[in-house]
Amino acid sequence: MNTTTILILLVVGIGLYAISLYNFFQTALTRIKASIQEIGNQLKRQADLIPNLEASVKGYLKHEKDILTMLADARKAVAGASGSADLAKKSKAAGMLGDLLPRLAVIVESNPELKANTTVTQLMEELRDTSDKVMYARRTLIDLSADYNVKVVTFPSNLVANAFGFKEQSGLEIEDIGDATKVKATDTKTPKISL
Amino acid sequence: MLNVYEQIDQNKRRSFWVITLFIAFVTTFGYFFTYLYNYDYSFLIFALLISGVGSFVSYYNSDKIALSLAHAKPVTHKTHPQYLNAVENLASVARIPKPKAYLIDSPALNAFATGRDPAHGAIAVTQGLLDTLTRTELEGVIAHELSHIKNFDTRLMTIVAILVGSIAMVLDWSWRISWHRGGERDNDNKGNAIVMLIGVIFIILAPIIAQLIQLAISRRREFYADASAAHLTRQPSGLIGALKKIMANENIKLETANTATAHLYIDDPVTVESHGSWLTRLFSTHPPIADRIKALEGAI
Repeated sequence: MNTTTILILLVVGIGLYAISLYNFFQTALTRIKASIQEIGNQLKRQADLIPNLEASVKGYLKHEKDILTMLADARKAVAGASGSADLAKKSKAAGMLGDLLPRLAVIVESNPELKANTTVTQLMEELRDTSDKVMYARRTLIDLSADYNVKVVTFPSNLVANAFGFKEQSGLEIEDIGDATKVKATDTKTPKISL
Repeated sequence: MLNVYEQIDQNKRRSFWVITLFIAFVTTFGYFFTYLYNYDYSFLIFALLISGVGSFVSYYNSDKIALSLAHAKPVTHKTHPQYLNAVENLASVARIPKPKAYLIDSPALNAFATGRDPAHGAIAVTQGLLDTLTRTELEGVIAHELSHIKNFDTRLMTIVAILVGSIAMVLDWSWRISWHRGGERDNDNKGNAIVMLIGVIFIILAPIIAQLIQLAISRRREFYADASAAHLTRQPSGLIGALKKIMANENIKLETANTATAHLYIDDPVTVESHGSWLTRLFSTHPPIADRIKALEGAI
């Protein structure tokens, strides 16, 4: 094997590697867009359950005015977010419904009539399932973005990424995440417990 | 302390090396065999074909076979909504098609997953598991089983089994043939007696070494499935809790399990590998549960 053959094989090898990486980047970007749509899809599914939930628990929630307000606000937020491609809006809407679930669960648990009602327990399971589905849809976006980003920033795939202008994807953006990743000075003080 | 990402990377690396070791071993065996038998490849080809065809049928129908042996019954959303929702959701985040879900009517705590590829996956859990585990723990077990499907473990172990079977078959034939021939070999390098000796010893030990590497691969893939489950759920505590409960209830036997399908289950239903000597552990398809818990906690 003379030098020319080796050089040709090397160039062909690098070319094939670059082609497969380019295709990977394009496929990954398409899948990331699809996963964002899927989050909207799951939010819509969650929103569709709300009227059923309202109907079956309305009688029992007469005294829980704030829960009913939360329900109405959450439904509006979801309706506004599921149409747009704005992921931040979707995340906010999903958060509101997520806050509702535990409060509803407490009410169901403490109200024996509600607890015995199979429609309500089925609906609680459905609500929990929709919450899970939204979480897993978001996790899919996180995983896809991470796999894509690893190849964009590590060597030697970053050379191909830079050559074709592939940039890092932001993945799942979370509003006000700053608070969750910071520890305030007041948090580091020993808490005082008075029983 | 290893996090979930590092656990997966470590398992991928170790899996790669043990499979490479196996390929190198099989290649060395092929080399020694053809050297000692005058470069006659026909035995090897025949053995591979026969072993391959024999294993192919059981591989292709692995889901039907395993499910019928376990007397597993399909479930519906009406009867088992939480179980099915968990399977559906975890399959979507694992990015594999939803496998068919089954239930084994047994008080034992166990589960298995099989299928020739993710499009033909099947998962089964016992009633005992559904009754004893919390939802998070059940999701950990389901994530482990789905990871086996996603990582193509059925296909990998089938290929390994075909190669191990071929080695045993080749040896079986060559002993018989040598007996009849009486050693007519035109070996013109008598000086290579040492190589021949090494070759003969290697070939005699080959089937057992092949099986030991096969079992090592199986154990490594169990660790890999555990790490993949922790990554899928981002909550190792689920699978850790499930494994602890499974370990505590190992005295409840799974009646329908036998040695043929034992390797598919999350906990080996036939051997209690943690209570044996290092020799028992060497011949186990599963690592001891205590080690699996330690690995999930990032301690090893």
